[in-house]
Amino acid sequence: MEPILKLRNLKVVFPTNYGVIRAVESVDLDIGDRECVALVGESGCGKSVTSQSVMRLIESPPALTQVDAIEFNGRDIKDYTPKQMQELRGKEMSMIFQDAMTSLNPVMTVGNQIDEMYMRHQGDSKKEAREKTVKALELIGLPEPRTRANSFPHQLSGGMRQRVLLAMAFACMPKLIIADEPTTALDVTIQAQVLKTLRGMQRGCGTSLLLVTHDLSVVASIADTVYVMYSGKIVEKAPVKDLFNSPQHPYTVGLMAAVPRLTDKKKTFTQIPGTVPHPARKPSGCYFHPRCEYATDKCRKEMPPLMGQGGGREVRCYYPLTAGGNM
Amino acid sequence: MRDILSMKNLSVHFPVKGGLPFVKRGVIQAVSDVSLAIKHGETFGIVGESGCGKTTLANAMIGMVRPTSGEVLFNGMDLCKLSREDFKKTRRQMQMIFQDPFSSLNPRFNVYQIVSEPMFIRGEDDEETMTDRVVELLELVGLSSEDLYRYPSDFSGGQRQRLGIARSISLNPSFLVCDEPVSALDVSIHAQILNLLVKIQEQMKLTYVFISHNLADVKNICDNMAVMYLGKIMESGNSDTIFKRPLHPYTQALLAAVLDTTFDEKREQIILQGDIPSPINPPVGCRFWQRCPKAMQGCKTIPPEHLQVEEGHYVACHLVNGFPDVRLPDRYDAPVDGSKK
Repeated sequence: MEPILKLRNLKVVFPTNYGVIRAVESVDLDIGDRECVALVGESGCGKSVTSQSVMRLIESPPALTQVDAIEFNGRDIKDYTPKQMQELRGKEMSMIFQDAMTSLNPVMTVGNQIDEMYMRHQGDSKKEAREKTVKALELIGLPEPRTRANSFPHQLSGGMRQRVLLAMAFACMPKLIIADEPTTALDVTIQAQVLKTLRGMQRGCGTSLLLVTHDLSVVASIADTVYVMYSGKIVEKAPVKDLFNSPQHPYTVGLMAAVPRLTDKKKTFTQIPGTVPHPARKPSGCYFHPRCEYATDKCRKEMPPLMGQGGGREVRCYYPLTAGGNM
Repeated sequence: MRDILSMKNLSVHFPVKGGLPFVKRGVIQAVSDVSLAIKHGETFGIVGESGCGKTTLANAMIGMVRPTSGEVLFNGMDLCKLSREDFKKTRRQMQMIFQDPFSSLNPRFNVYQIVSEPMFIRGEDDEETMTDRVVELLELVGLSSEDLYRYPSDFSGGQRQRLGIARSISLNPSFLVCDEPVSALDVSIHAQILNLLVKIQEQMKLTYVFISHNLADVKNICDNMAVMYLGKIMESGNSDTIFKRPLHPYTQALLAAVLDTTFDEKREQIILQGDIPSPINPPVGCRFWQRCPKAMQGCKTIPPEHLQVEEGHYVACHLVNGFPDVRLPDRYDAPVDGSKK
């Protein structure tokens, strides 16, 4: 099956006063039709820069972007003009941002903001657009959609605002939706509601989803394929069940053990020693070696390549953990 | 064991100011009628969604907010009735760790100034003693004496939180309120800070109040806990008991909403409808009835009492405790239609 998105060898660099920050280093990403791909990593690992580069939202300057191909739906959009990109954004690929309060316009009613999508991309009249908006809000599970469409963002709760963003992202039935930490700002009970809606909408509309998150439990509940990122590089790629049942990269193993679980023993928390390296001062060899308990001299000198492990799995480690342990 | 801190019928209300003239002002009932007791040396967890009053309750515990009614007893002394001098002396024993390590440290202070400020305020003026103490504290929290003259901007989130912890224990307190100490941190740093908190507690025999919205953290670190919703305690007691057998429908829903990294397809999913209501006009009866999947007619009008169901396990729910008056007409037990809001 031809993937919806094929990203090849993406490099993003930010020259700063403190040195060159290599935010993203040679990232390849494939998203299949109707697939939900999760990009997981800690803050500063380059996951948001990667996802925004796909939509070509990273401005240059300050950033220097180099990419071999961004193949979207069979076309290479790497050299699209800003005008062509505008046509694409919202209509064929759209984005859900983390903080719904800052990504909605505070002085426009939410209805008007969604109407814009239909008026801009489908050439609807104001009246037709509003009808579609109400339908979209209803679909997304907002109570009293017709009255709610006339509210301003500050009159809605966090969960409702996130739903409005969902409605907006799904408005033109895009081929690909990029959700950047869509539930991080929400409470657990609301997070469960929003994730359920997101999953339902994605399946219902036949959309592909790129989910950017730091929360492994969200990944476990919604994704099909997972990419784990560390310090600008993909360190592991695997189907979600395989990744959680037998993580192969020591970083993934550590990350999973570090997530507190209801079944854990009392007063002991498994930790990864050390901290994420500063993006301008990355270590030699494998970026994870200072924090890795299995590191050898080879790891300290050479960056391991991303090696295929069969079954759609890839791992960037000389000594992948095959047993998987009892994580 | 003796209680280090107890609260009796504590309420904290905030008036809603501003708006148009002649418009009736409202009152935010941030905390209403909370009674809790915290024992010496334990870790007491407070869980709830944002806006449920966790932080206000914590602030009231250490006297940062004056209660509207009720009392806070610290080692038997009522915090509100103490004189200024006595309050200052008592306050030394109680400290706080804040949620956001980026805004709780003065960016213009260096590490030495940040950590020694509490001592300075308490009248310590010998530089050498303070430097020794600061270095000792830094080593305790996993930083080193080399960091003494660096500024907060040089540190990562986890290191800043360590600084915040060093500052809060600099006066040898006995009672520490941790207000979401790890929720702003990355997953891999998260565990490091929790381990540090556990270590310090053992060394200094501290009592913690641990506020969090992460149930797994609370389960693993706390001895006793309370679940809050819209300013009221819904369920409280031993954390193992509550996690093993949650009795309040809200606690059950919260537990079910915790996503896990294991694949258990049989796990029951309770997804609550709607949002947390505004604390300005909270529901008259049980505060949770509008979202409760098991609400009964009587829940709308009769507020449930916080009653003991088993040794040390308190629940405020009509479903568990039964309605107070057994002769009430039986329609009180009729289920509420879920679609009605």
